[in-house]
Amino acid sequence: MVDLMEHAGANPGRGTYGMAMAASRTVFEARRDCAALLGVKDPRDLFFVSGCTEACNLMLKGLLQPGDRVVVSSMEHNAVTRPLHVLSGRGVRVDFVTADTAGLVDAEAFERAVAEAPTRAIVCQHASNVTGTIQPIGDLADIAHAAGALMLVDGAQGAGHLDVDVAALDVDAYACSGHKALLGPQGIGVLYLRSGLDAMQLVEGGTGASGADEPGQPLDRPERYEAGTPNTPGIAGLGAAARYQSAHGAGIRATERRLTVRLREALSAMDDVVLLGPAPHDESVPVVSFTSPRAEPDRIAFELDRRFGIAVRSGLHCAPWAHRTIGTLDTGALRIGIGHGTTDADIDALLAGLDEVLA
Amino acid sequence: MSARQPRLFTAYGFATTHDALAAEAAARRAEIHVTPIPAPRELGSLCGIALRFEPSDTASAEAAFAVAGLVWTARAQISDI
Repeated sequence: MVDLMEHAGANPGRGTYGMAMAASRTVFEARRDCAALLGVKDPRDLFFVSGCTEACNLMLKGLLQPGDRVVVSSMEHNAVTRPLHVLSGRGVRVDFVTADTAGLVDAEAFERAVAEAPTRAIVCQHASNVTGTIQPIGDLADIAHAAGALMLVDGAQGAGHLDVDVAALDVDAYACSGHKALLGPQGIGVLYLRSGLDAMQLVEGGTGASGADEPGQPLDRPERYEAGTPNTPGIAGLGAAARYQSAHGAGIRATERRLTVRLREALSAMDDVVLLGPAPHDESVPVVSFTSPRAEPDRIAFELDRRFGIAVRSGLHCAPWAHRTIGTLDTGALRIGIGHGTTDADIDALLAGLDEVLA
Repeated sequence: MSARQPRLFTAYGFATTHDALAAEAAARRAEIHVTPIPAPRELGSLCGIALRFEPSDTASAEAAFAVAGLVWTARAQISDI
């Protein structure tokens, strides 16, 4: 990113002088490498956006029309529920399917819900940002397609933490954050839209490409969804992250998995901890949440930070629907994120800190 | 301006920057000399990146585009330096 800003800080896709071409090639290569990482066969079906929130907004507002019906999991983040709230005010019917108390959705419940009325789309996260629960996206995609509906996925907690292959999952749209498990910078994300799927763009403007004299937004991908000057430094960073993930992702995921099981086992053995989400050995992404009768989550988070320098997050995690589902809407929870760079020593320090804070 | 004498080239336009760069990469893989240029008026649009080839490389360039599954949107003979 620094190299790009020092040597290629021009607007990609606009000029052909050296800096502009270097910027253009950076975007081109980043798109190619992100597509390869996510199983996107044609890189033109992958669009750079400001983050997963914008990706979810484009996915939902671009595809859903008044009169449409969507069936949605009760575990969704506000990046999904808030756009759907707006769309419900525009005549989109939004029906929720409640997950179990571990945060897992039941595919058969979705099948029944879809059978109740004509459905435009199933909307579901790939994994929960509260409990780490991994949802059965492939099964849901089969159900959606059997009913002639679309499968739309919020992959904020999936990409990077899981080996995502959108072609194998057979989803129609998949929204990703760049700065979470993909290890890119903030301010960048991607949206995959199945080839031929006609989503209305959220923003119109310059694209730099041919057709500049046409009054309407070009319909060609990816430019249709990328009006204006892109976040080229962010794209450069995400491209580098994608290449890093392609080379090292399997090892990162194995370590995250081992540490997550270890932490869940330790927490489940503590008297004053109520572990949320999957059981210790169940599959999950490396997100671990709990509550305690000994202290409110916000107090635990504050003490861990001030006394031990341990960074965790309390509250509702921008996912009140998920907390309502698992029974923690009134209290919130303490969430621990395990990621690339987390070590056994970090887990040791956390557990020792919790012993003191909860004593 | 350069004192060099203008001569003929073949220029290709593409629908998107992505396609133009994919076509450039395809040409390079096929070891065809290619030069990105600002889209000239002859291609019908004055924005974006066009690719310039020696006229003798036209057939091989188009073959390389076809192998890569790329469709050019305009082709023109241009006088360039």
